[in-house]
Amino acid sequence: MSEIKKIIKGCLAGNRRDQELLYRRHAAKLFAVCLQYSGNDDEARDILQEGFIKIFENLEHFKHEGSFEGWMRRITVNTALEKFRCRHNLYRVDDIDTIKEPDAEPDNQDYAGLDAKDLLEIIRELPTKYRMVFNLFAIEGYSHKEISKIVNISEGTSKSNLSRARVILQRRVGSYTGLKKKVVNE
Amino acid sequence: MNEKGANIDLLFRNGLKDYEVLPPPGVWDGVHSAIKIKSRPIILLRIAAVVTILLTVSFLTYKWSREIASTTSVSALSFNVGAPSPVISVPFDDPQYLTAKRNNQVRNSSNVKIEPLNYGTISDATDVAFSPEPIMNIQETKSLSIGNNTTVRGPLLALPNRSQVNSIYIQYPDLQYLLVNNSTIPVNRWSIAAMASPTYYSGISSGSDQLSNKVMSSEQPLFSYSGGLSFSYKISKRFSIQSGLYYSSLGQKVDGINSYSGFTQFVNTKGDHNFEVLTSNGKVFTTNPDVFLTANGSDRILTAYTKDVFDPNKASLQPVNSSLNQNFSYLEFPVILRYKIVDKTIGINLIGGLSYNLLVHNSVYTTLDGKIYPVGDTKGLNPLNLSSSLGMGMEYNISGKLSLNLEPTFRYYLNPFSVTTGSFIHPYSFGIFSGVSYKF
Repeated sequence: MSEIKKIIKGCLAGNRRDQELLYRRHAAKLFAVCLQYSGNDDEARDILQEGFIKIFENLEHFKHEGSFEGWMRRITVNTALEKFRCRHNLYRVDDIDTIKEPDAEPDNQDYAGLDAKDLLEIIRELPTKYRMVFNLFAIEGYSHKEISKIVNISEGTSKSNLSRARVILQRRVGSYTGLKKKVVNE
Repeated sequence: MNEKGANIDLLFRNGLKDYEVLPPPGVWDGVHSAIKIKSRPIILLRIAAVVTILLTVSFLTYKWSREIASTTSVSALSFNVGAPSPVISVPFDDPQYLTAKRNNQVRNSSNVKIEPLNYGTISDATDVAFSPEPIMNIQETKSLSIGNNTTVRGPLLALPNRSQVNSIYIQYPDLQYLLVNNSTIPVNRWSIAAMASPTYYSGISSGSDQLSNKVMSSEQPLFSYSGGLSFSYKISKRFSIQSGLYYSSLGQKVDGINSYSGFTQFVNTKGDHNFEVLTSNGKVFTTNPDVFLTANGSDRILTAYTKDVFDPNKASLQPVNSSLNQNFSYLEFPVILRYKIVDKTIGINLIGGLSYNLLVHNSVYTTLDGKIYPVGDTKGLNPLNLSSSLGMGMEYNISGKLSLNLEPTFRYYLNPFSVTTGSFIHPYSFGIFSGVSYKF
């Protein structure tokens, strides 16, 4: 029996040590996912907590047929989406025109200078609806049709949001790389 | 734009692929408390389900055993004296019956017809047409020596149809053993046992904190014992249910508590106790005004007479001991289910059940020159505890009625003796019970 199977078995038997072990092993990766989908740290924390509660509650339904990490990630993303659906009326989708123009247009080579922390920061600066669509399309690999159902928008809006998200991200990436270059040169 | 878009997608997908951020502390606590609360009803439901299944199985076994008993006590054989030829019914599809029949009685009989017994139906005595073939050859043999009013009894006999007065229905071939007088054989179901055992007693801490761990580390089990009488009722061949009355004495030694005598003359405060000592099983309150207590380098003692207020050495108090003994006595009412795995001269039983433990005595003392020096008692103890038992019993049958028993038994207390420092100490004990049992 693989180690993860043993841990899952222990969790299902109510073994606290195995439950904590499962959490400690995967919490950091899943928290990064939560940060990616949320606008602030408190919300990310809530998503992580609720996501893990669902993971433990549904552990008996995991059939060991696919990646366990992928299964946990899907639950976490779904939890983030549930939160989004509950609150999206409260969010204001910023108009693209109000976003500050970047210092420079990035090129492919500029991308190389960014690390994961920078990328996460950039993605979290996106307006919520754009962030959701971009994450679902570009990171999770959903189609616009699927996104339209998940986020309850039309396919056209999904495409439009993705397009706007990409524009913003490209500009942001440019800003970051420009700033970094400046810092390095100075 | 599409190429740029794909590039930006890839940049983020690959860049964030294996990124990890440590979550803030406290998330796990929130997760754990939520899953713990939700799992409790499931555990309770499972316990309830197990109890229900046990009770149902016990009831059905009891019913079944009663039915078997009533079946065997009914007269299974009757025939009309004037009938020309009583008919013995046998299961037609069982070759061993036929073989045995030939070898034993039937071969030596005459005027007896053999009729196949079709389970669930009783054939007419005059209808002797049957199959298979071998049975046909053993009709009309010598007469059986069955007198008037003779009754054949035993578990292997088929129930007769009362209207079938011309027939004898016997399923088993060895008729000599089946023909007995019309009397009832008593079934011994009740037995009494006297058992006793020294027990090892300790506790498991759940939700423990630093203080309770520290407290528990200074405690050692004392000699404990348990014993009593039990009655057992055999509900079937393998199952029996047992109850009775046991007395058990449990104790522990609390190290690091120095006691002194001669404090009475210095007591100047009002109240029912001068000292409180924290233990894993509750707080010890001193009831003896003569005792003075100090703790070795810990804050386990709560008192108005702290070191800066009163020094026992300066007051020339007499040192008594450096530890306290806690003792608890319980009356136990067990409800135990036994399953006989091996039923031979040396029998082996699987034992499991619950006990209700009623607290009847609780004292704290220390010793001075081998004599008991009372200190006080433990407060906050649960007056009634529920414990579960699991064991394996060995039974050596000396005679039909008397047997020696040896039963290693593990006992776990489902609820703690008391709640201390926010942690729960679930005591457990292990003992090897020995004794004798007598079957009525």
